Amino acid sequence: MAVAASPPVLPEPSGSVMHDLAAFRQAVRSGGPPKDGIPSIDRPHFVAAEDAGLADEEIVIGLYLNGEARAYPQRILVWHEIVNDEVAGEALSITYCPLTGTALGFRRGDTEFGVSGRLVNSNLVMYDRATDSEWPQMLGGAIAGELAGRGLEEVRLFWTTWGAWRARYPETRVLSERTGHVRNYRHDPYGSYVPLRGYYRPDSGRLFPVMHDDSRLPPKAPVFGLRAPEGAVAITLEALSREAVIDVALGESTYTIIHDPGLETGWAYRNSEGEAIDHDALTFGATGIEGPGMAALEPVHGFEAMWFAWAAFYPDTELIGVAP
Amino acid sequence: MSVGRPGLGGVLGSPGRCLTLGLIACGYALLYLWLGGDIAGGGSGWQASFPAWSRLLEPRGPLQFEPVGLLMAGPLVWTFSPLNTLLSLLMGMLLGLNLLVGWRLWRLPRRCSLRGSSLGLLAVLPGLLAGGACCAPLLVIWLGVPVAGAVAGLAPLLVPVALLLLLAGLWLGLRQLAQAE
Repeated sequence: MAVAASPPVLPEPSGSVMHDLAAFRQAVRSGGPPKDGIPSIDRPHFVAAEDAGLADEEIVIGLYLNGEARAYPQRILVWHEIVNDEVAGEALSITYCPLTGTALGFRRGDTEFGVSGRLVNSNLVMYDRATDSEWPQMLGGAIAGELAGRGLEEVRLFWTTWGAWRARYPETRVLSERTGHVRNYRHDPYGSYVPLRGYYRPDSGRLFPVMHDDSRLPPKAPVFGLRAPEGAVAITLEALSREAVIDVALGESTYTIIHDPGLETGWAYRNSEGEAIDHDALTFGATGIEGPGMAALEPVHGFEAMWFAWAAFYPDTELIGVAP
Repeated sequence: MSVGRPGLGGVLGSPGRCLTLGLIACGYALLYLWLGGDIAGGGSGWQASFPAWSRLLEPRGPLQFEPVGLLMAGPLVWTFSPLNTLLSLLMGMLLGLNLLVGWRLWRLPRRCSLRGSSLGLLAVLPGLLAGGACCAPLLVIWLGVPVAGAVAGLAPLLVPVALLLLLAGLWLGLRQLAQAE
């Protein structure tokens, strides 16, 4: 259903845009299904953690906002890719692209996002139901339509396991299989994360052409990436876990990425004052990371992605975790 | 050799041939529904629920429709769309008729070319590539070959093209049969 008001937008996307919009438009191609052929969930229902029926090792996409925690099982999102939700009074779109392994949240205002059926660099191209502008998920910006060139306000989602999420947020609510559509939520058409197989294996091939190919890592190797106005950096999950705290210079700015051993993910910050962070002194809780020096850090958005997709969107990216 | 009655009546002139047609139609339908993602694994136990009859006519792609119910039998799960099922059976029947016509042409004393039926057989491929649960046909995802970009762009045409090929193949085959007999 079309809704009138456009989503809240920024003058440009949060991260640097390393291809021009015309090149993005040219690289867009059909993924197969028509517009809304992959139906977004527009009236989500939730259940309590104890009624979720999830195994500890299952992948969920977690959201914590203004005191509310929600978990969106990957095995439901793989069939819908977008949930138009409202959390703690904020209208959000929870988005997941199975082909690039990326989960990002966006503020949607009074409109909704849907699945266009088109891809760029194998990544989900969303459309907003107010202006029909086209938004590649990883870019967080519009490449076509009335809002071309603008960016969306991003909200951090966490790619983690149900066991880890529930341990951190015991009161979490969980997206129910009552989605309004009939799908086989016990079966992932692409493969499986537990055990790892099919399309999700790091060394398996990608299906669609990309704008830039980079073979420093296997195509589907997961990386934690952050993109800022000054550039982009990707870190292998092994390096993030091993180093625990990584400082990166992008342009004249310093960014610090901190490993969260509970959720097995990273948190990214702009570190303008050059604070030295001691990982052993940190505590990881519901509201994030606390400890000496943390107050001086400014949170920025980072998320996991398959390497080939990250490199395709951000060809000038730095890569940490691979011997030169 | 007696060639019997002309046309479809002749092709289906015995219970054995009707049974063959039914088996081919059901076999193709199952394959089509499996490759299209309507039938897949992941189940456990037994279940039958039909919560979405309102979506009976709702398309999820060209000539592909939303499921209205879920049937689970042990490890198999069938997200059931009556229209997808009817379409798969129709395509299976057309394929079976093409095969029976081809077989009959082959058995004629004056061997005819199997041009028409071959055309019908070609339809197997686009029909089976048409199904894709999300992006890209399942067959392509399983094989892991990087041709999805090319195939996915043709997705809207695959089922209509398969149907046209099946009908054209059958028409050509029956015409050849009529001329030969």
